[in-house]
Amino acid sequence: MEKIKVGNGDLVQKNWDPISRIIGNLGVYTKIDFANRQVAECKLTSSMFRGYSVFLRGKDPRDAHFITSRICGICGDNHATCSVYAQNMAYGVKPPPLAEWMVNLGEAAEFMFDHTLFQDNLVFVDFCEQMVRETNPALLDKAEHTHAPNAEIHGFRTIADIMRAFNPFEGSMYKEALQMGRLTREMCCLMEGRHVHPSTLYPGGVGTVASPQLFSDYQVRLLNLLDFVKKAVPLNDDLFNFFYEALPGYEEVGRRRIQLACWGAFNDPAVADYRYATMKEWGRAMFVTPGIVLDGKLVTNDLIDINLGMRILLGSSFYDDWAGEETLVSHDPRGNPVDQRHPWNQTTLPRPQKRDFDGGNYSWVMSPRWQVPCGELLAMETGGGPLARLWSTALAGLVNTPYVQATGASVRIQLPKSASLPETEFEWKIPPWCNTIERDRARIYFVAYSAAMALHFLEQAMEEIRAGNTRTFSDFTVPQEALGVGFHEAVRGVLSHHLVIREGKIANYHPYPPTCWNASPTDSSGLQGPMEEAVKNTPIFEENGQDSFKGIDIMRTVRSFDPCLPCGVHMYLGGGKVIEESHIPSLGLGGRVRKD
Amino acid sequence: MNSPEDNGGIRTGCPKVKPTALTHVCGVRSGNRPENYARERGHEPDGRSTASRSTGINPEARNPILPEMPNLSPA
Repeated sequence: MEKIKVGNGDLVQKNWDPISRIIGNLGVYTKIDFANRQVAECKLTSSMFRGYSVFLRGKDPRDAHFITSRICGICGDNHATCSVYAQNMAYGVKPPPLAEWMVNLGEAAEFMFDHTLFQDNLVFVDFCEQMVRETNPALLDKAEHTHAPNAEIHGFRTIADIMRAFNPFEGSMYKEALQMGRLTREMCCLMEGRHVHPSTLYPGGVGTVASPQLFSDYQVRLLNLLDFVKKAVPLNDDLFNFFYEALPGYEEVGRRRIQLACWGAFNDPAVADYRYATMKEWGRAMFVTPGIVLDGKLVTNDLIDINLGMRILLGSSFYDDWAGEETLVSHDPRGNPVDQRHPWNQTTLPRPQKRDFDGGNYSWVMSPRWQVPCGELLAMETGGGPLARLWSTALAGLVNTPYVQATGASVRIQLPKSASLPETEFEWKIPPWCNTIERDRARIYFVAYSAAMALHFLEQAMEEIRAGNTRTFSDFTVPQEALGVGFHEAVRGVLSHHLVIREGKIANYHPYPPTCWNASPTDSSGLQGPMEEAVKNTPIFEENGQDSFKGIDIMRTVRSFDPCLPCGVHMYLGGGKVIEESHIPSLGLGGRVRKD
Repeated sequence: MNSPEDNGGIRTGCPKVKPTALTHVCGVRSGNRPENYARERGHEPDGRSTASRSTGINPEARNPILPEMPNLSPA
């Protein structure tokens, strides 16, 4: 943290770079008005360049899902799945239904794993007893004397007891969440071969052997998880509601205009044929409905509209403009014009330079925006993923399964009886705000949503097995020229992969993960990125003064987005000295190890 | 070492492999090639499978010993 007096002393600069307990490399640079107790300015920067869109060019498109999975060390399987979707479209192949259910099961496990890990082991460190004692001791006093309304379900008598349960490394919920993380990773491995870089996901289907034993192993683990979920949801509600009650005005922390984007997840094999022309129909049939939600209203849930409205802007990013570069796709397969700023036409031209927060460039993240048909550009956010998914699904009212129903204003989730708790129903209702608390609250509800959906997918997969439909793979050929787009949800929000094939090779490939949207810098039209906007004007509730300021309200806001800067390993070795270069031998070839 | 101009201003080392290396090795059959599914043992044309699917070694021996017994797939 850096503290610099700015101007006449009214604003104090506070910087956190890098932020801990997130994935990747993110810096938050703020100016805080301590007199009025709110954040006055905020800029977000990422100091990493990955270049997947650069080095994927010229490769065999069949390798794309194995390569793009390595973008991330926690949601790599989301990337692999999304890449497989894009390839399915490009190759014109439809996987057998059993394969589709198995991919859905693997992805549901990933959502349960990642949300549990992030919420209980990383986010809740900001809400745990130790942290609250350091930042808001008066609030902790109040928590000690506040009865937890759902104590009979989760077993924690007061709100302070809940906070203590999340103390890192020693709290009971913290430790139980780690166990659940192991269980859910095993579930993902069962379906996708490995976690997080799946070995059995391919375009055209899966290579997993779909035996009844496989589904039994998955089900046993899922039922063990249900007890945890049934405790976690009311426990989260108790804690978050306490913050609203104990700190009036806390709803303003991290609040911004409702601009939520969801690209949909869990394809329905009865409808999804991966043709671009029918993408509207099979997009709406997804078990998480895609959608653009603006000011609480659903603008569209047509994936073709969503695709054509995507714009990748520069303005504060370390890249040259590609306006004069080749237009690879002038029209989509339905004849609609495709903009030069669309990912299909993007050419990545990195231009490393010094970071300049005063009107210059300051981030490696570009500025993806969504343009409504009338022309307004929107800085869409994912709400950390679950908020947009639940909101879009609830408003559309299209999901109707035995365990999950979207009502138009809420999502109802039924979980059957499990080892120690009876059948339970949860209802996530559309909240009045898009803010820090609601982003965090939606996360635990989406764990319940994924668990309930997994039960449905299991039943559907077993139906296929019982009917003797054991096929899990469809053959295909790689065309010389093709277009593909995959729409999926990474754990923390929208994920798209845009693919152009020329001469049987990748001519253009652009993955757009959620944090590109959330952590985008100010664009060329002057629009701030969602996280910048959410932190700006956030009121400060922390009781510490300037000197011992921790910025807990800012940190809670940043982490509510579940930031995942596509992660990379950075080692600064000083003066460019190479410590060790090693080559690992394969296939009996001699390797070499050189030490300087 | 490539000139920085070739790489959008980024200084890089010498490439050690061609961009298309290891994508496909000539002579190795691609798993996705058409009719591949039908060629493999134990795969029925209607999408069902039999016990022969469980192994590529002497698959006939995996079939049931009596005709009235069900021919169960491992999956």
